[in-house]
Amino acid sequence: MAEQRYLQRHHKQTRITHGIFVVSCIWLAISGLFVFIPQLSVAAGADVAQFMRVTHRIVGCIFILTPIASALISPKAAGHFFKKYSYKWDADDKEWMKKFVPYMLGPKRVHMPDAKEVKSGQVVADGAIMVGALGMMISGLMLWLGGVFAADATFMSVARLLHDIFFLLLVVFVIAHIYLGAGIFQPYKGSLTTMWGDGKISESDALYHWGKWAREEIEEGKIVDAPKK
Amino acid sequence: MTEQAIYFDSSKCTACKGCQAACKCWNNLPTSYELNSAGEFTGTLQNPPDLLPNTRLIITFNEKDREGKYGVDWAFGRRACMHCSNPSCVNVCPSGALYIDEETGLVTYDSGKCIGCQYCRAACPFDVPRHTNVGLTGNNIKINKCTGCVDRVKQGRKPACVSTCQPGALQFGDRDEMIKMAHERVDYLKSKGFEQASVYGEDQMGGTHVIYVLKYGLDQYELPADPQQSGITDALGVLKPLTAAAAVATLAGLGISFATGVGYKRPTMRYDEANHDVVDADTGEVIKHIDREAGEL
Repeated sequence: MAEQRYLQRHHKQTRITHGIFVVSCIWLAISGLFVFIPQLSVAAGADVAQFMRVTHRIVGCIFILTPIASALISPKAAGHFFKKYSYKWDADDKEWMKKFVPYMLGPKRVHMPDAKEVKSGQVVADGAIMVGALGMMISGLMLWLGGVFAADATFMSVARLLHDIFFLLLVVFVIAHIYLGAGIFQPYKGSLTTMWGDGKISESDALYHWGKWAREEIEEGKIVDAPKK
Repeated sequence: MTEQAIYFDSSKCTACKGCQAACKCWNNLPTSYELNSAGEFTGTLQNPPDLLPNTRLIITFNEKDREGKYGVDWAFGRRACMHCSNPSCVNVCPSGALYIDEETGLVTYDSGKCIGCQYCRAACPFDVPRHTNVGLTGNNIKINKCTGCVDRVKQGRKPACVSTCQPGALQFGDRDEMIKMAHERVDYLKSKGFEQASVYGEDQMGGTHVIYVLKYGLDQYELPADPQQSGITDALGVLKPLTAAAAVATLAGLGISFATGVGYKRPTMRYDEANHDVVDADTGEVIKHIDREAGEL
């Protein structure tokens, strides 16, 4: 068998941005639950819940500033990021989306069409996470500053409602994102290192997940060194 | 002890604000040094202009022309917790800090349990709860609102505000008696020509434990005509179980997905740039269709 070749799926800055974003997201979820779930705040006590609420604000700042800082450090990469998510879907992309649920419930008997750098399903799922995160940021700021500047009850209620709705959206899509991104789903095994390792993906996996993108990369000679073992 | 209520008769109130001062004294609440409306003269004696993190009770002032008649209707109102029978603040409190005192029906709280989320303020249709330490970090935010002096009441005393009221505008006792007294007073006021006189608090929010006799029309008092628990508050109550259900459904769906994916294998692929083909890295055979669909060979 010929030696396996590798492609660079995610660059270092993307991985660092994603890493900080994920860690802050997890902490925000944990600390937010102390307000969201009454039994948790009762069990932990008011002091712990107060501490969690304060950290929610501090980590919330990190959550908001991380993607902004990353975009400012590399505006070109930020432009590419949005461009790769906003392409026009062709027949393959539509078919991919149509087959997504049957594929998830039976990967051994459903063949998925080739995909571009970002699959149509990724556009939907990652898009939902981006919308959810943006919604959490805006509604979170509304809650925070509304409290500081004594905004009226309706403003605060709407902000809280939005925060809870976007949380629901994130719960669903982040769980699915972890399931696929971490390679828990058998056909996605090996995906984890593309974002949490060195950002490289084997040629075989790249051809399977993003066939069109992988072929383009190889034809353009963008082969990278194999990961260090 | 039966259900208790604070009675406030706006027709007897002289707006001396002794109740405001007594509330601060009993509850050890400091007073802001800033002037009324933060230094701007507004022409009103209402001071402070609204409830504050350190002010649980204010007397409101409202002047209204008598439409062609001589003089003005000068209404003195009272703004503090209404002690609802179905309090939205208690309904939304995630930590159980806010609760209804079962003996008296008064809505009180354990500040040691308050986690500072401020949901009670957003939920209250009377916009009553305030919070201390509301700042950028939000460290140690605690609720501050009228407790009905439930600590005094349990010792057989009247709430601090009631105990200091010289004209007897404030009374305290069994809720039924307070309601009866309020209706008698309103009947009297109406017989004296105050046609818009009314009782407030008997039915609002399931019946409040503060009963007002309003001498003039409701619009002269800082009270909502039809206070209701906000629809948003109801929706928030639904969102929690809905989020839990969505999380469980997602995990269940992915669990099924995982089960169907166990044992999945595919050949290692390689791209042949020269012929633009994807080939099996082991056999060299061209792969056109990596996974077979149901029914395919």
